[in-house]
Amino acid sequence: MHNDQVKRRAVVGLVGNPNSGKSSLFNALTGLRQRIGNFPGVTVEKKSGEIALASGVGVELVDFPGAYSCYPTSLDERLVVQELTNPKGDLFPDAILYVADVTKLDKHLLLFTQLRDLDLPMILVLNMMDVIQETGLQVNVARLSRELAVPVLLVSAREGQGLEELKTAVADLLKDPAKYRPEAPFYEPGARARDVLADLRQELPARNDYHALLLTHHASWLRHIPEETRHLVQQARVRHEFHSLRAQVEETMERYNTFEPIVRDSVRFAGDQASRSERLDNILTHRIWGPLIFLAVMFLLFQALFAWAEWPMNGIEWVFETLGTSVRATLVEGWLTNLLVDGIIAGLGGVLVFIPQIAILFFFIAILEEVGYLARAAYLFDSLMQRFGLNGRSVVALISGHACAIPAIMSTRTIANWKERLLTIMVTPLTSCSARIPVYVILISFAVPKETFWGFGLQGLAFAGLYFLGIAAAMLSALVFKLVLKTPERSFLMLELPEYRTPVWRNVGLTVWQKVRTFVEEAGKVILLISIVLWGLSSFGPSQRMAAAEANAARINQELGYTGEAAEDVLASERLEASYAGLLGKAMEPVIRPLGYDWKIGIALLASFAAREVFVGTMATIYSIGSVDDELRIRERMAEEINPRTGQPVYNSATAWSLLIFYVFAMMCMSTLAVTRRETGGWKWPAIQFTFMTVLAYFSAMGVYQVLS
Amino acid sequence: MPFPRLTAAVHFTAGMSGIIDRFTNEDLAGKLLDIGVRPGSRLRIVRSSPFGSCWYVKIDRHCLALRKQELACIMIK
Repeated sequence: MHNDQVKRRAVVGLVGNPNSGKSSLFNALTGLRQRIGNFPGVTVEKKSGEIALASGVGVELVDFPGAYSCYPTSLDERLVVQELTNPKGDLFPDAILYVADVTKLDKHLLLFTQLRDLDLPMILVLNMMDVIQETGLQVNVARLSRELAVPVLLVSAREGQGLEELKTAVADLLKDPAKYRPEAPFYEPGARARDVLADLRQELPARNDYHALLLTHHASWLRHIPEETRHLVQQARVRHEFHSLRAQVEETMERYNTFEPIVRDSVRFAGDQASRSERLDNILTHRIWGPLIFLAVMFLLFQALFAWAEWPMNGIEWVFETLGTSVRATLVEGWLTNLLVDGIIAGLGGVLVFIPQIAILFFFIAILEEVGYLARAAYLFDSLMQRFGLNGRSVVALISGHACAIPAIMSTRTIANWKERLLTIMVTPLTSCSARIPVYVILISFAVPKETFWGFGLQGLAFAGLYFLGIAAAMLSALVFKLVLKTPERSFLMLELPEYRTPVWRNVGLTVWQKVRTFVEEAGKVILLISIVLWGLSSFGPSQRMAAAEANAARINQELGYTGEAAEDVLASERLEASYAGLLGKAMEPVIRPLGYDWKIGIALLASFAAREVFVGTMATIYSIGSVDDELRIRERMAEEINPRTGQPVYNSATAWSLLIFYVFAMMCMSTLAVTRRETGGWKWPAIQFTFMTVLAYFSAMGVYQVLS
Repeated sequence: MPFPRLTAAVHFTAGMSGIIDRFTNEDLAGKLLDIGVRPGSRLRIVRSSPFGSCWYVKIDRHCLALRKQELACIMIK
């Protein structure tokens, strides 16, 4: 096929409906040899991996997003059509593994017949052979293969059965792609479509009639169709009164009529009795019990999250503290050592300390997804979400947002309606992500006394309250956006509720591993960079001012008779005030004074706009405490801080509450803004997101401070 | 309990079932067909969702969640 081109490695596409077990098969075939990137031009996550066939030839396996048909309604599905109708594209597969759930073959063959009519070399992979024994389902593989004219293989991605046979079949198909070419298409375009095609057949870069038909349907958004061709297509469609939706319905009905008898002849489904899943759903999706169980599950999830994450987090902190101390002890003192210890090691520690929480959260989310519960959650809350302009599927993003807004925003791709998707993206960062946790922890101790009320710790209640505040703010903002934005687009729920299954632990493990890696790579870069910049800004300043500060510190130390550590602390805080960071903080002090903040908090806020988890680290730098993550010591130092204007402690409960509210609402994460830009295709929405959240934060914090002080 | 003659599925309560005859909304029909809801399928309404406007339905052997307006365009005989 590609003999005339530069030899490239063969690309094998993994295609199938959502919930066909496609990703499980991908994981089973590639294991840890997966690469994650983006499909060209869009942000849909592209997973690919190399697999070695029996012959020793390596092929690239690309996991395409799940799609129901060649008539896409979501970004994910569009991508499949985009790549499979573009023979010149890099990802155009040399062969397709079409994955279908054997228990849903009567639905999953729709896309199969469409791709078959595109004349793509295919293997039909019937997944879930493990349920065949359980349910008494019978499949005549030979007959299916004969009638569909493709190789048909039974596998179980869950149990890893049939994979070797599959690799052999792929090798055979790649060796001789023409062997299984279809003799006749499953579907012949109708009269009206034929007229349009007669006009356009020469103009379109199409391999056959069905390919041309799909290009006619989708020319307006397919990236590989040039502008002039789009015009021609549009004119021809108008001339022949080609109605895309009507043609789609006709085609789909005809396809069902064609393959339904084939399925009926080769597959015998077990009787239609209420399955175990349905009995479970009697309770889990019950009108009253359903939402209550959901809330209980979430409550337990976050309890476990905090309980389990504490130990490894302490461990990571300890490692970086020790590392910092020993580096300082070994290396000669100087700015390079300071950069290494206070900038890089402290910054790295600040990133890695979140790994336990992110890992545990994704562990739970992956399990809920694998089990099939997330689809139920979307069903339970769709009605409620609709009132706020969101979609049931937004629930998934809003839950994931409590770990990190970045993957949460990426998970909105399954929402077909642009407005619902946009709203979800816009409000998800208001949910309290794990980066806010250290900030909450340290500030709540100033805001709320350590007392109990009816057996509940007040501080714990405040913590829960902040989470709730974040969710409420997200929902109400969505409501405002809903009233402002208008869209003519179709909105769907139409959600499959797949059978409950025990999770495939390989899939759970791979998800956790990939999410953690993405976090370290993406967020880590930013946080590390900020730590270094911040270290630079707070270590250097105009030389005259720095000299004056040092002299001043020496004078104070002499007057008070400080030596050793205490003297160094005085010197450090004087130097900070004279540094560039100090100048910046002082410059913004008038703006933040109504909120109850001084210039030192100003520096921390400024640094937090890059990433809010920087707050604690910045506080440590500002209050010149050697180890970054020692919250107790930072807390002591903050408690000692006196406001020179009032003579009162800076961190009274009004300031602490004001800061807490600010951190709940403010958009302080550059990585999230970058993801929003990628997902919305421009700077407009991230700019709006940044502005509305920051304005909300500023005025809410001001209100809180003015009321409390 | 069977559905009376040709009615939109949205008018029925939990427990009722019937055979899908046709769709009245082209916008939704394409997508419904894609996910396997098609004329000739047996539709059964299992229950309604907590806050009202969604339904848990069973189409042939598979469970789906559909919104009110999605059910409204499905005609049952």
